[in-house]
Amino acid sequence: MFWSHSCVEGIDKLDTPIFEIRSLNHSYAGKTVLEIEHLKVQPASIIGLIGPNGSGKSSLLRLLGLIERPSRGEILFNGRRVEPFSDEARFLITLLPQEPFLLKRSVLNNVLYGLKLRRNGKEVLPRANEALARVGLPAKDFSQRPWYALSGGEAQRVALAARLALKPKVLLLDEPTASVDAASAQLIKEASLQARKELGTTLIVASHDWQWLNEICDEILHLFKGKIFGTGRETIIFGPWQDFGTGKWGKFLSDRQQLLVTAPPDQEAAAVIDVLPDSENRPTIAGEEIVLSGTVSRLSLERKTGQLFATILAGDTPFTVGLTFQQGKEHTILPGKTVSIRYRLDQIKWI
Amino acid sequence: MNFLFEGFFQAFSLLLSGNPETFSAIWATVKVSSYSIGSSLLIGIPLGFCLGYFDFRGKKPLRTIVDTLMALPTVFIGLLVYAFLTHRGPLGDFGLLFTLPGIAIGQTILALPLVIGLSATAVESMDQKLRIMIISMGANRMQLFLSSLWEARHGILAGAIAAYGRVMTEVGISMMVGGNIKWHTRTITTAIALETNKGQFGMGVALGLVLLAIALCVNVLVSFLRRRD
Repeated sequence: MFWSHSCVEGIDKLDTPIFEIRSLNHSYAGKTVLEIEHLKVQPASIIGLIGPNGSGKSSLLRLLGLIERPSRGEILFNGRRVEPFSDEARFLITLLPQEPFLLKRSVLNNVLYGLKLRRNGKEVLPRANEALARVGLPAKDFSQRPWYALSGGEAQRVALAARLALKPKVLLLDEPTASVDAASAQLIKEASLQARKELGTTLIVASHDWQWLNEICDEILHLFKGKIFGTGRETIIFGPWQDFGTGKWGKFLSDRQQLLVTAPPDQEAAAVIDVLPDSENRPTIAGEEIVLSGTVSRLSLERKTGQLFATILAGDTPFTVGLTFQQGKEHTILPGKTVSIRYRLDQIKWI
Repeated sequence: MNFLFEGFFQAFSLLLSGNPETFSAIWATVKVSSYSIGSSLLIGIPLGFCLGYFDFRGKKPLRTIVDTLMALPTVFIGLLVYAFLTHRGPLGDFGLLFTLPGIAIGQTILALPLVIGLSATAVESMDQKLRIMIISMGANRMQLFLSSLWEARHGILAGAIAAYGRVMTEVGISMMVGGNIKWHTRTITTAIALETNKGQFGMGVALGLVLLAIALCVNVLVSFLRRRD
């Protein structure tokens, strides 16, 4: 599998990728959790990682963050092979894990910690204060607070400030907004984007916030069972599957509609379905096509391409449909509206 | 009961008048326990850290051995150290028997399992997230080690206090290896044992109070250090 990523404007396409992964295989206790043949990440890009829990997002971030060494394969940073504690990389890459973890010290000392490791003496205090201000924690109110006197959202913001103060080349964010309040989430989002804008920091973000990733990312990678397989805009339906007899397989959605699929490779396989809006003047393809009806629950815009994505709920199952602005307008796709969607059986992929 | 009150009264007068025999025992105790706690922390903390931090084959049995050694009887250590240090023993040439350094060797053996075991527990109970955090901030291996140690400091300190308490209050090693020689290797605990045998409660009580006072000082100092964090 080869994923080549387009670059953001102003960056030479021939630039050395900031990250390159080759033949990577990572396992815990003999169980493979990540398998990536080849992956390139261009400098100053924003890459989103999307996928269910346990799909390997955090493992990938830990490997890129040089916390762990891959079981097999190699990771190149700026064209050079790196591993945990590599001097070429350890001051340039930083990871913000999902759950904030602070040292048993004051807020200020937590933010100063990384700067002190770098021994860049005098300028540390202004940098720490600036980083705190960026995440909405004014130094005069927060810098002397002990680690235990912070809310979850504040602790996560302190943890982010500690990373921003380092002015990293790569900032890896593992579900940075998953367990914080809305105001903290907003501040975290803004501060990370600012780093990329001002310093050209490459951001790699794992998140379930599909809409946010759509807005900011140059590229979204979909991870499932440790493999990258698409852009995150596919509709994935998980097993188990029922044999309906006479070669038909499928499952009942919660509103009793029948979702039909081709024969799955195994009971628990996941189907990737390419869903299209059902327009009245579509060409008919006999027998191959399944039509479902559902309600539009969300419309989002992929800022980079101008493409719209509608989430349509058939029963409780979400289907993602890509639309042009024109299509959206013609069919008046608005949240709440009941629409038909269709997919072709022969285009279902199994993973 | 009267003799006890008299003992207390006598104890204060011994302490306030600066009785040289009493203070010689106090000084011997402070000196020998400082040697032994110092060396057991120096050896025990790195070993305990490694035992708690790294996964290796045979870790569990090793842990069990260390935990068992925490209950090592002082007289047994006294016996072993005596056997090694006596002039017929393998370390007899160093002339350490009936000296304070000799007692310190025994007490170090006494304190080591406590320091190792409790440091290992403190390090083991450290959050895995701490490691991720420290590496992600750019630490090298040495900085990772030192920062982890610093984060585990409360647990390690608790181990150190427990070990210090054990060292200060033991009688067996001091008696057997030190020989309870007046002005020389007589420590607080051996003095109390001897004076009590002689029916001299005053000095025994005085020395007991000093032991308590030292314990109080150590704990006040520790809680002050903790609060400062």
